[in-house]
Formats: sequence, C-alpha cells, structure tokens
Amino acid sequence: MLNFKINSNAIEKIGNFNAKEKEFRLKNLDSFNKNGFPNKKSEDWKFSDLREIVSKNFKKLDLKVVKTDAQKIKFIQEFDHNYIIVTNGELTSSNFKFEEKNKIKVQNYLNNNFINKQENNPLINLNHALSDKGYFLEVEENYKLKKILVIYNLYTNNLNQNILNCKNKIKIGKNSELHILEYTINRSKKNFFNNIYENVVLEQSAIYKNICIYNEKSFGYFHKYSSNKLDTKSSSTFFIFPSGLKFNKLDLEFDLNGENSECNLQAASYLNHDDHQEIKTRINHFAPNCKSFQKVKNVLDSESKGIYQGKIFVKDIAQKTDAYQLSKAILLNDDSEFNSKPELEIYADDVKCSHGSSSGSIDEDSIFYLMSRGLNRQEAIKLLVEGFLSEITNEIKSNSIKNFIIGKLEEQLHEHKKN
Amino acid sequence: MKNQNINYNQDYKYGFTTEIENIKAPKGLSEKTIKFISKIKKEPKWMLDWRLKAFNRLKVSKEPDWQKPKFPKIDYQNLYYYSAPKSMKDKPKSLDEVDPKLIETYNKLGIPLNEQKKLSGIAVDAVFDSVSVATTFKDELTKKGIIFCPISEAIQKHPDLVKKYLGSVIPISDHYFATLNSAVFTDGSFVYIPPNTKCPMELSTYFRINASETGQFERTLIIADKGSYVSYLEGCTAPMRDENQLHAANVELIALDDAEIKYSTVQNWYPGDKNGVGGIYNFVTKRGACRGKNSKISWTQVETGSAITWKYPSCILQGDNSVGEFYSIAITNNHQKADTGTKMIHLGKNTKSKIISKGISAGKADNTYRGLVDIGRKALNSRNYTQCDSLLMGNKCGAHTVPYIKNKNSSSTIEHEATTSKINEEQLFYCNQRGLNQEEAVSLIVNGFCKDVLQQLPMEFAVEAQKLVGISLEGSVG
Repeated sequence: MLNFKINSNAIEKIGNFNAKEKEFRLKNLDSFNKNGFPNKKSEDWKFSDLREIVSKNFKKLDLKVVKTDAQKIKFIQEFDHNYIIVTNGELTSSNFKFEEKNKIKVQNYLNNNFINKQENNPLINLNHALSDKGYFLEVEENYKLKKILVIYNLYTNNLNQNILNCKNKIKIGKNSELHILEYTINRSKKNFFNNIYENVVLEQSAIYKNICIYNEKSFGYFHKYSSNKLDTKSSSTFFIFPSGLKFNKLDLEFDLNGENSECNLQAASYLNHDDHQEIKTRINHFAPNCKSFQKVKNVLDSESKGIYQGKIFVKDIAQKTDAYQLSKAILLNDDSEFNSKPELEIYADDVKCSHGSSSGSIDEDSIFYLMSRGLNRQEAIKLLVEGFLSEITNEIKSNSIKNFIIGKLEEQLHEHKKN
Repeated sequence: MKNQNINYNQDYKYGFTTEIENIKAPKGLSEKTIKFISKIKKEPKWMLDWRLKAFNRLKVSKEPDWQKPKFPKIDYQNLYYYSAPKSMKDKPKSLDEVDPKLIETYNKLGIPLNEQKKLSGIAVDAVFDSVSVATTFKDELTKKGIIFCPISEAIQKHPDLVKKYLGSVIPISDHYFATLNSAVFTDGSFVYIPPNTKCPMELSTYFRINASETGQFERTLIIADKGSYVSYLEGCTAPMRDENQLHAANVELIALDDAEIKYSTVQNWYPGDKNGVGGIYNFVTKRGACRGKNSKISWTQVETGSAITWKYPSCILQGDNSVGEFYSIAITNNHQKADTGTKMIHLGKNTKSKIISKGISAGKADNTYRGLVDIGRKALNSRNYTQCDSLLMGNKCGAHTVPYIKNKNSSSTIEHEATTSKINEEQLFYCNQRGLNQEEAVSLIVNGFCKDVLQQLPMEFAVEAQKLVGISLEGSVG
C-alpha cells in the first residue's frame, strides 16, 4: 500500500513563499493528508475509486520538479494558428504572430488568491498545496483573436511516477473572443499523474471556445478541475475528445452568473483496453435567462469504463432557464461498463430542464442492413461507431479544424482495432 | 390570480384521536424493551434471538445522512416501542368483542368493518397502532389455502415460513432504520399464497398511528409461491399531532417462479401544519425479490402525506425473465420533504424493469427522485426504461432528480429521461375559460399529469387517490 502522506517540507522544496501563501499551502496539505486520495466512499468519486487506482499503478509518487529542456515538437500543419507550448505543465514558449501586439498577455501563473474555501475534493487541496507551474492567459477587452490558439501540452519521456500540479488561468475581457485547441503530445512511456486546476473568467459578452484532444495513447493519469465563471451575455463552448488515457477525470464547473449567458459542452470518446474516464459537470444557473446544453457520447470497448456525472443546479431566481443534458453510450464488449448519474436540482418553476441517458449495444438491425450492403461485421460496427461520434464533431464550425479532429479520431479508432 | 380562502382546520379530515387505554412498553430502546415486546407477543425463542441480533447490530450502525431532507435528531430513548389497545389483551373471537371505540374510529376512517366484510370484496386486516384488531374474510381465504394474518400470529402458527423468508430480502444488517425495525417491530401483515393460486380479492391493510410518542414499526412479509398472484393494498392515515412521529416499516416481498405480486400504497399521513410543525417521519424500507423465473413485482405508490418521506421500494430481479415495475406519484406541499424512488437490480437474464415517477412540489416543499438501475454483468438482454417528470408550483419549492445508472454488459439497454416544468399557462387558461376555477383546473391538470400512475392503481384506490391529489394541493395556487 502506497503511503499518501506528504511531508510538509515538500512545500519548502518548491520555493520560498510569503507567510500568507505558506499558511494557505500548509492548510491545504493538511486537508489532503487527512483524506488522502479520494475513494468510492466519497459521493463524487463513487464510480472512480482513485485511491485504488493510484495504489495499484504507482509504487511511489515523485514530487520532485522535473527539469525539462526545450524539446522540438511537430506542429500542426493543417491550419494556421497561434501557439503556446506547455512542457510538463510549465509554460515554455509562445507565439502570437497572427495577432495584434499588446492584446494578449501570457505568462507564468502566480497564484495570489489565498482565500481558504473549504474544498471537498482532496485533489484540489493537493493542487493548492503543491502547485508550482502553469500559465496565465489574458485577452484584453474588445479583441477577437484572428486565428485559433493551439496549446501544445507536451509530456516528456523522463516522467516516471511523477505527480505534477499545475494551475492555469484564462481571462477573456469584455466583447473579446478566444478559441483554443488543447493538443496533448505524450512522450512518456511510464506512469505519471497530472493534477490540473484551471480557472476561466469570462467578462461581459466574451466568447470562449475550447476543443480538447489527446494525440496518442498515454500512460498519464489525469485529473482536471476547471472552474468557469460567466458574466452577462458571455458564452462558453467545450468540445472534448478524450481518448486513450489510463485514467482521466474532468471535473467541470460552470457558474452562469450573468443574465443571458450560455454554456455548451459536448464530448465524444472512444474508450478501449482498460481506459477509465469520467466526465463530471456541474452547471450552476445563478441568473435568469441562461442556457446550458450538454451532450456526452461514449463508445466503450474491451475492459474500459466510462462515467458521466452531470448536475444542473437552478437557483430560485434563475427563471426562464433552459437546460438540457443528454448522455448516450454504446457498449461493445461485455467487460466494459458505463455508469451515469445525470442529476437535476431545481428551485425555480418557470424553467425548461430535461435530461436523458441511455446505454446499450449497437442496433443489430443497423448492422444487418450494412452487412446486407456488403460490409463485414467489423466494418459495419466501425462505420456505426464513427457515425455515432460524428454527431459531436459535426458541430465544430471551422472546416479545417473539424477535418483535423475527425482525422485524429479515426486514427484512434484504427489504432485501437489494431491492438 | 385570486387568493383562495381556506379553512385550515378542515384540511386534514383524519385528524382525530381516540382515547383508549394503552399498554406501553418501558420507554426507551434497550434489551429490556425488546424482551418485553417479545414476551407480550408470546414469541418463540428463535424470534427473540433474531431481534436481539438486530439490536446488537443497531449498536454499531449509524443513521444514514445521505438523503436530501435532513431531520432533527431523534431521541430513540424517549420513544415508546410498543403500545397496544388494552382490550386486545385477550384476543376477540369476533367483531362483537372488539372495543366499540375502535370500531368507531374505523367508521370515521371509512372502514365500516361489518359492512365492508361482504360488500366491497376486500379483506381488511386493520392495524390499530401495533396489534391487528380483526381480520375479515378469513374463511374464504382459508379455503384457498391463503394465509393472511398478523405477522405475530404467523410467527406462532407458521414458524417455518417466517423463519425461511423473514429478513431474506431485507437483512437485519441492512441500514439503521431497517435494523431498528427488525429489533422492535410489533406487528404487521403476513401473506402466503400457495402454488398456482390466484388470490380472489385485493388484500388490504389500514395502518393507523394513534398513541402519542409511539413510533410504529410495521413488518410486512408477502410470499407468492409458484404460479400465484396477489394484489395487496396499503393505505395510511394518522391523527393530527404536534410532535414528530417516527415510522420505520419494513416490507418484504418474495415472488417465486411465475408468481406476481402487485403492491399498492396510498400514504396520507399527517404532513405537519402550514408552518412545517409536526408531521410524521416516514422512513420505510420496501424491497421485493423476484426469486423465480418469469416472476413479477409491481410497486405503485401515491405519497401525499408525511413531513419527511424516505422511501425506495426496490426490486431485485434474480430470476431469469423477471419483471420489476415502479409507478410513483409524490406530492409535497407546504414544508413537506420527500426523497423517494426505486432500485432495480438486474441479476438474471432477460430481466425487464420500468420506472414511472411523477413528482409535484408546491409551497416550500422539496421533492427528490432518487433511483438506481444496476444491470449486472450476467444480466444479458436486460432492459430498463425510466421516466421521471417533475412539476413545480411557485418558486419557493424544489424538484430534484438523482438517478444512478449502471450498465455492465453490452446486450442490455437502459433508457432514462426526465423533465421539469411548471403547469402550462395555456392549459390553465383553457380550463378557466370552460368554467373551472383555479383549483379545479390545477387538480384536473395534475390528475392528467399523474394519469400514467393513477391508472395502475386498483379500482378501490383509484377514486380515493384522485381526490387526494386535488386535496393535497389545496391552497398552493393563487
């Protein structure tokens, strides 16, 4: 059994902090040490027993800061883009050649918010205690980025049983617009754990789009908590294509604080081998006339496990809320498993809230139809799976990016079949 | 919209108390109390041991706290665990020997035992507080070999059946309130339907909480043997009181090969007054096991009463091709809180389950649907369909849906859908325009909303339930 207790001198090793920050970090470390990695007794981790997963796959957790040299990466050729490169969580380079100067700020993130909020998630505590890297990205008011920004998340091959704690912040000013493609490149062949805390702030009428894709199979264990705060008339769109990770939990929280704000989340994943993936969302409708839309699609093969926990919360003043939530899953193998918990908590009466969840096998009639047209069973299933997932990819507006994503997904599907 | 003037004193028409001398167990929860209950019930030793085992388990278990509605701490040592009408000490041989005051109470409740005996075709096993008073239609049932009697009687007369099945669906270590019930249960109904028998009438029990500060701990055990069918009705009313009363009943259903059990409940206990004072805590454990092949268990419930309701009638679908159904209406008004739903645990092949839940909240009430659908690895070709709709009236109430959905094999299908909305203004307008007043209109629309569930109720309940839906929402619109 792995010992989860972390000595307080780990904080000193990260750097020298002022008294306030030190206290904040120590307090959070205490909380983490008290609880350890969450297990299934905790409601939020009911379907993902992280303690068991970590003890099974990690012999030790190395907190040491991994030194990384600048590494060459293959840039995406399919479309023009700005980029920043983040190596093992640390901002290493950035390039905004398509944009006006002084409109975008990007720098290493320094946390200066030490308000002690009681966190229920021990991993957030852990991040607060030990975070030592990350980026801060800010878009000035009234500026729409001309090209998409690609964030290359690179994980180097010297990672081995490491645990990384990163903190990122994105702030988009009034009437501004930012599109991001998060693209993960993994060179590590050993297990490592990445614990990310992200803070996104959208000011009035700001627009934020985020597409997230993992390029290749990874030995990474990922946990990401993202807090999104939306002001009046702002809108946030997420496309998530997380595949091929050993463990991945995305914990996304959206606070719709301003009237007429909107959030849209769509995910499509193909899980294989012993992949374990959980998408957890909490959408807080705090103001009237807000909209939220969620659609999560999963295809599960081999011994993979998929989880969707989505919650819509509607405060009593948030009248005229329109909230929609749909989760669909296809199980291809009897050893795969899909669990979902789509939750509604509603205190306002003039609302339109609905959720649906279904899981099952591929429709035999459809397979039969395709086979009668000359496809073999394997091909028929592949086609149906692609069709099932393409409902999400088709929602991406830019053609070049859409084609790039479809290409990547097909690679994943193909690669999995080969193995 | 106009404000309806309502005479609050008339809201709860079953709010009266009959003064009857009670024999009470010593106050508090202790081994002594359990021995007292066991002695007064003239139970055999194995039963006492079983109760004590549960009591020992109770010492180490904790009250559950995961439900949404929280409740003030219950002082278990300040409760009476047994009270029986005194005139019951020597059991009456016929209705004539029953205390006239009891008969009067039933008449007020609308159960004229004497008349009902022949006219309505229902055998009523009326429970007054804790001891069954009179059991009617016994002869007709006996001819068919059906056993329908108080469980205390079954413990003495049919110990083999009770020993075999009691606690086999809800083990004594299940959770705090189920364990508490196992330790101190006083009475309840026992039903056994022999093989290939169709029970000729709807079996029915009326529960009534009477003595002040007495938790009622009912235990119901229904066994449907191979190829049999039974429909069981349970209806509840309770007198108006200020203190919170605890009700922790256990209901176990067992369906063997090709058997079918239909269990219907109308619950209209005292919900507390307009300000949320008083009312019953209804913490009930209901669970059915489809043990045999092709068996079926169907739960139908109309929950309108109680201050706090925690209730999850569940089905364990063990036998291949077995079917579980759950139809529920939960109406909460004023300060009522309901956390109800079901569990469908699919273990056998080709098992099917269906869940239809309708929640209505008004006033400052909270209504939660909480359900689990779990399809196991070996439950091939299983199917579940879940629909839960919520209706909100006013912006001070809440409606919540918490479904847990687990699918562990690729040949099974689970579908779940839920919606939340308010009463359509156009529908209201149409009804008003046709001459219905606001309350009649709401009652009509809500009845339509609940139709899927109401039509599952047996005839005897359907009329009463429809009225109840209207009554429960009185004063919530305007």
